Amino acid sequence: MTKITTALLATSLAASALLADGPILAQKTQRDVTKLTPTSKAWEYVKATTIHLYPQTALTMNDRKANELNAKAKAKEARVKAIHDGKNIAFLLEWLDGTRSIQRGYRSDVYADGFAVQFPVDYRDPTKLPYIGMGSDGRPVVIHLQKAVEKVYEPNGNGDVSMRQNILSKNAFGDDTVEFAQKVGALAVKDYQRSFISEGFRSMTEIKDGSEKFSADMKYGDNVWKGTLVRPLKDSYLNLKGAFPVAFAAWDGAKLNRDGQKLLSGWLAVKMVDENGGEKLVAELTAAAKGDAEHGKELIEQNGCTGCHQISGLSPASYMAPGLDNVGGYSTAAYLRESLVDPSAVVVPGYNRNAHPSAVWYNLDHGKRVSTMPPYPLDDKSLDDMVAYLKTLKSEVK
Amino acid sequence: MYWNNVETYPGTGYPKNWMEMGGGFDEAGDLQAGVVPNIEADYGVPWDYNHDQLQFGAQLKPNVEPTWGPNWDEDEGAGDFPNDNYFFYIPRICNHCSNPGCLSACPRDAIFKRDQDGVVLVDLDRCQGYRYCIAGCPYKKIYFNPKISKSEKCILCFPRVEKGLPPAFAQQCVGRIRFVGFLDDEEGQVHKLVHKYKVALPLRSDYGTQPNVYYVPPTEAPPKFDAEGRIIEGSNRVPMEELEQLFGPEVHQAMKTLRAEMKKRKETGKSELMDILIAYKHSDMFRLDQEYYQSIAKKSGISLAPIDNRYIQGKNTPNKFKFKVVEYD
Repeated sequence: MTKITTALLATSLAASALLADGPILAQKTQRDVTKLTPTSKAWEYVKATTIHLYPQTALTMNDRKANELNAKAKAKEARVKAIHDGKNIAFLLEWLDGTRSIQRGYRSDVYADGFAVQFPVDYRDPTKLPYIGMGSDGRPVVIHLQKAVEKVYEPNGNGDVSMRQNILSKNAFGDDTVEFAQKVGALAVKDYQRSFISEGFRSMTEIKDGSEKFSADMKYGDNVWKGTLVRPLKDSYLNLKGAFPVAFAAWDGAKLNRDGQKLLSGWLAVKMVDENGGEKLVAELTAAAKGDAEHGKELIEQNGCTGCHQISGLSPASYMAPGLDNVGGYSTAAYLRESLVDPSAVVVPGYNRNAHPSAVWYNLDHGKRVSTMPPYPLDDKSLDDMVAYLKTLKSEVK
Repeated sequence: MYWNNVETYPGTGYPKNWMEMGGGFDEAGDLQAGVVPNIEADYGVPWDYNHDQLQFGAQLKPNVEPTWGPNWDEDEGAGDFPNDNYFFYIPRICNHCSNPGCLSACPRDAIFKRDQDGVVLVDLDRCQGYRYCIAGCPYKKIYFNPKISKSEKCILCFPRVEKGLPPAFAQQCVGRIRFVGFLDDEEGQVHKLVHKYKVALPLRSDYGTQPNVYYVPPTEAPPKFDAEGRIIEGSNRVPMEELEQLFGPEVHQAMKTLRAEMKKRKETGKSELMDILIAYKHSDMFRLDQEYYQSIAKKSGISLAPIDNRYIQGKNTPNKFKFKVVEYD
């Protein structure tokens, strides 16, 4: 009876799932969530939240083919579900991808579909969250990454069905499976599941000592990828309580996506049902822009922002500073405001100074990146208006 | 995939058409977008033959259908055989550029150039296999290892170099065509060839990476024949335009110098340049100094081999334990 009630509740909630303005609700369950997979029945009883993933266009990478394929990339809709059991939390991310790209051995120019889930280590002050792209100095993030790999192995690559074996059938085959996995490993087809800790692009470090106990999985069907991430609410890196921020990214291997060539959400609030706290965070991450965007646009033009930054329709063709075309999609209002007042707070590295066209947008001062952009310590109203405008900068959702 | 290859020029090279795959810098110094070669179409997959079955009457055949490989167009060259056909060989390794395209392209800081000797290395702990380095290198001399999902490249045998030994590719070369040394060592052969006589030139310096591998261009090719099969005096089969494309306009002066020194040697029996190029002694060809590295190691308080601790796994990454879990009220 309880189950039916829950199912009905889930159905009614699903009808209102297309409300991205509120937080992602992490449902509470008495059951163990650590065994959830992308196809688990339990997900049917969890409310979905629609989110948007935006092309990360701050920097242009130097892969010619990938840039051609992604030139007109639009934002993508995705659905997120979350459920926790008091000790662990599980996320399900569903997104449309018309091309199933799998990581295979012995390919030099093939990239896998994949997804990542990012958490800030410290989210006590919701106005000082880490930079969305791999965190920032003094503001570390934990990132879990899963790339699509084939789970049913066939070692000779010829589609030889008699050589196929499901790697999950360990009980039936025992040591044979281990030996088989080694053979497959030698063929360069193995699971690609990694955890990182990062304080900005260059510091991203893989956690390889096994101290990060997460599991992830991906399943494809009907042009949709379903990816799950299950991790403890508390471990030596994170302490997820009440409400906390999360960000999602998805890569499309068919478009040669990897690294910065991805679709990315902004910081989204997750509210754990039956847990107290986090109201301030939820309010900050779900609030509508409070300024006058039209006036903000005028201020952006008056202050010469487009002299360096790319804003489609406003800037000349060439530019030097990070592109702002999707900045409203993946940045919080607080981050945008901070960037105006203190541009050196987060400086997106241009890799080598020569990596990006025409001019440098930062200098190195004793190893620290200092932005060449001057601070704009404007009055609160002007800053609100500019932020409101910048929040409107995001590509259309496909 | 081969870190070091010798290709026939003119030819498509290895990987196939590498000179058309982008990378490097434009005149303004901006990194250019490039492409990542395909392992089958551009590098070629090694194949084997069914030798075991030949005794049972089978035809000799490869185990895969080969479509490309290193030296696929070996000795083909260009021109009209036998009148003016021509080719020469270009040995190619990583150029350990002063301004490496691979380093500029890496978003992870996984590639570094050593201050001590300019050797360009990949930190495999940092590399995540994005392959932008391959797109950024105009020589396509950094490779993706699909088995470990990371990029790898020529390390210039730096553990040998640190011990004062030349890289293996140079020491083992039976033709003694390779000299290794510090460019700023004025007594060294490398300095003399590059700066004093200016006969050693970088390959495709127009890519803007300031490559550090230098070539003495080929001066002596057979003459051309006329329709009657007679030698055309003063003719040269290798078009200067081809050499200019590879080595820049300086190739004209280099050729002049080489020919003049050859003549001088013939007439007087003396030419320092010819003595260098004949390469009598290994000790002259490789001026590397273990003391140099030992002094650096001593100064840094680290043990030799490798002196560069960035290469040690995890050394370049911050200690993750500095991130304390936040305790909430």
